[in-house]
Amino acid sequence: MPPRMYRLVVNGELGPRYASAFTGMTVSAASGKTEITGAIIDQSHLQGLLERISDLGLTLYSVTPLDNGNGESGSHGAPPPRS
Amino acid sequence: MSSGTIESGRPGLRVIEPKLMPPRVHPGMLRRTRLLAALDGEGGTPLTVLNAAVGYGKTTLVRSWCIERPEPVIWITLDPADDDPARLWTHLATGVERLGQGLGSGAMAAIGTRGAPVEAAVDELMNGLVRHGRPATIVLDDLHTVGSDASLRSLRHAIERVPGNVRVLASTRTDPPIGLARLRARRALAEIRARELAFTVEEAGQMLEHEGIALSGESVELLVERTEGWPAGLYLAALWLRDLDDPDGEVRAFAGSAREVGDYLTEEVLTALAPETRDFLLRTSVLGRFTPELCDAVLGRSDSAAVLGQLAASNMFLVALDARGEWYRYHHLFGEVLQLELSGEAAPELRLRAAAWCSAHGLVEDAIEYAAAAGDAEMVAELLLEHHLRFIWGGRLEQFLGWTRWLPSELLVSHPLLPASAAAAAAALARPDVELERMLVLAERARRRRPELWSPYVEAAVEVTRAEAIQRGDVAAAVEHARRAVAAARAGADVLGVGVLASLSQALFFAGDLDQSRQVAVDAVERPDAPDVPDGYVGALGLLALIDAEQGRSESAEAWARQAIAFAHQRFQADSWVASLAHLGLALACASTDRLDEAEREALRGERLRHSPQPTIGHAHALLVLAQVRVARSRLSRGARDLQRAQRAIAGFPDPGRLPEIAAAVEQSLAATQATAGNRGPIEEPSPAELAVLRGLAAGLSRREIGAELYISLNTVKSHSRELYRKLGAASKAEAVARAEALGLLERSKSPG
Repeated sequence: MPPRMYRLVVNGELGPRYASAFTGMTVSAASGKTEITGAIIDQSHLQGLLERISDLGLTLYSVTPLDNGNGESGSHGAPPPRS
Repeated sequence: MSSGTIESGRPGLRVIEPKLMPPRVHPGMLRRTRLLAALDGEGGTPLTVLNAAVGYGKTTLVRSWCIERPEPVIWITLDPADDDPARLWTHLATGVERLGQGLGSGAMAAIGTRGAPVEAAVDELMNGLVRHGRPATIVLDDLHTVGSDASLRSLRHAIERVPGNVRVLASTRTDPPIGLARLRARRALAEIRARELAFTVEEAGQMLEHEGIALSGESVELLVERTEGWPAGLYLAALWLRDLDDPDGEVRAFAGSAREVGDYLTEEVLTALAPETRDFLLRTSVLGRFTPELCDAVLGRSDSAAVLGQLAASNMFLVALDARGEWYRYHHLFGEVLQLELSGEAAPELRLRAAAWCSAHGLVEDAIEYAAAAGDAEMVAELLLEHHLRFIWGGRLEQFLGWTRWLPSELLVSHPLLPASAAAAAAALARPDVELERMLVLAERARRRRPELWSPYVEAAVEVTRAEAIQRGDVAAAVEHARRAVAAARAGADVLGVGVLASLSQALFFAGDLDQSRQVAVDAVERPDAPDVPDGYVGALGLLALIDAEQGRSESAEAWARQAIAFAHQRFQADSWVASLAHLGLALACASTDRLDEAEREALRGERLRHSPQPTIGHAHALLVLAQVRVARSRLSRGARDLQRAQRAIAGFPDPGRLPEIAAAVEQSLAATQATAGNRGPIEEPSPAELAVLRGLAAGLSRREIGAELYISLNTVKSHSRELYRKLGAASKAEAVARAEALGLLERSKSPG
């Protein structure tokens, strides 16, 4: 699978230290959510990011593949209910 | 290395003690009365899984429960290196061994035995627990860190066999793929999840009060709402609030913030720390688990013991692993966040110092982990070279292979021993061919790059690995490589002697040189160290059985085979393919002395043990032996099917050696038997009752057994058989079965096998 842009959303606005937890990704916080956006090389890369999120005790809200970085594909990103 | 002392002088890797230490419970932790009662209430359930995200207090709960229970606890903290099942089970066996009475020693012996499947160790361990007889608890903490198929399979195997006196508690962040759905359906699983683990408002109030924090009821509610009862968040809040003048006001401000809970609270907690303490925490956060001495070495100070003692008393995020203040770790969440705070440049240097300290203190695995985390591949390679025999002798092939795979190719080609040992490990673990090939190619490049390091040991290891790999389809090449392996072992790698001789003997056997194959096998089994190499020894004994049976010495064949099977059983090779040869040899020996039932059973066992996803010479040969025995037993259609399967496989091999010859002989005897059985014209159709008796005869049952099975008297069985013989024109049981088979009468049979 070729690299693809993804947006991961976690609950809460993360402070600046979290930028170093997701090197290579853009981390931006607003309105009670934090978006982690960037190119994902393959499935292991994505799994690794998800594990990182779990290690840091963050609550994953949604994972969305982006079409060539300009639009959301819509069909993959249904947010799971918060546990 | 003298051959006689191999067994006693084989040091494996040291047990990692802190993995077996149940963490201490901080006195500030709330006693979770309702959850402890829930755990008590599940006493009859063999497995309890605590499944929730980091910081839900899973470990603390399990630990508190264990402390309050009288039965002994075997605690193991799992980590990603337990993807090597040998490492996982070495530690579990050590825990069981410490219950006393040598309960874990059988399992440990199985792990250290070449060629023994890990399930053999699991079975031994379960036997030990059965012998223990009294209640015991096994705790698998951080089960989510284990991800390999091999380890998960072994855990599932174990969970299905846990004796009734033992309870297993596992903590995990994700549902482990160990067959939970099946256990759930059988009501053999209890689960405690985030919903149960979250603090209630009442529990949060108790905890804060215990910490001496005076908060209004409304503030406690706000706090629980904001943290969703997440215990780590509430403990962080307690650390943050205890020195503040107006805690209620702070809680209101926090409740209004959109910041992430953990982030907000750690920020507040870290900012409130004295700069020196903070610096200590940040810099030690690169250490997974640590002693005061390790901290001293990494930080270049000498007072770590005092600092850690103080921190452990005041901060629940530093976890003491033992009562003596020897080992500590940070709470997983706290450790992760501290590492984020530590500047990126500082970490590698700190890790390298930790690697050096661990290496000097014999903590080989930790040293390698730190060196790898620091990105120092050279150091990893050096440590692997120095300790590679510890990995091999300790059965840690997965771990060894994992590290070598991680090293860059350019580094591997400067150390021939590494790709050579990795290739041998990949072959022993039956890894995919591409992986084996990659290591063999790297070994070949290493031979050219560093000829001075190409020792007889490396040569023998590489050649025997090639011989075994090639033997799947190219017999002549296998003989060639096995000969080179034997020559290299003679030149200076005596320790590999038994294995390479067994390999050569097998290659020669398939090539058709039975006399030479026999001589080499005799050389192997007569070596004094032969029993120390159980897979080679069992293989060589099996070859002797096969050859003697083929050459008409059925008595000695049977003796070899029985010796091999008994030894295989004793040394955990009974379910390994190496035992297959002995079963096939026994099958031929039985067949030549007319014990056809036993012959078929043994041939079938030999065939199943040799079964593999891809066609191999060994399996094709096993099918031919099975076909031969079945034809002799007049089970013609089954024999024909076995023969066809073997022939299909043989057609795909570049050099199948003598297999086509054996196949032709089986085909001939099949045709001959079919002819005598089928050429006597039509017959009177047997009655359904007679057919039922016929099926019993074909299955090898005695007349008495057939009577019992069909609820008819022995006399009735006898009269049905007489009628059958008459209708089939047969003079014996074998003839009757053969003729019935040839006429297709047994095809209507429903009996399996």
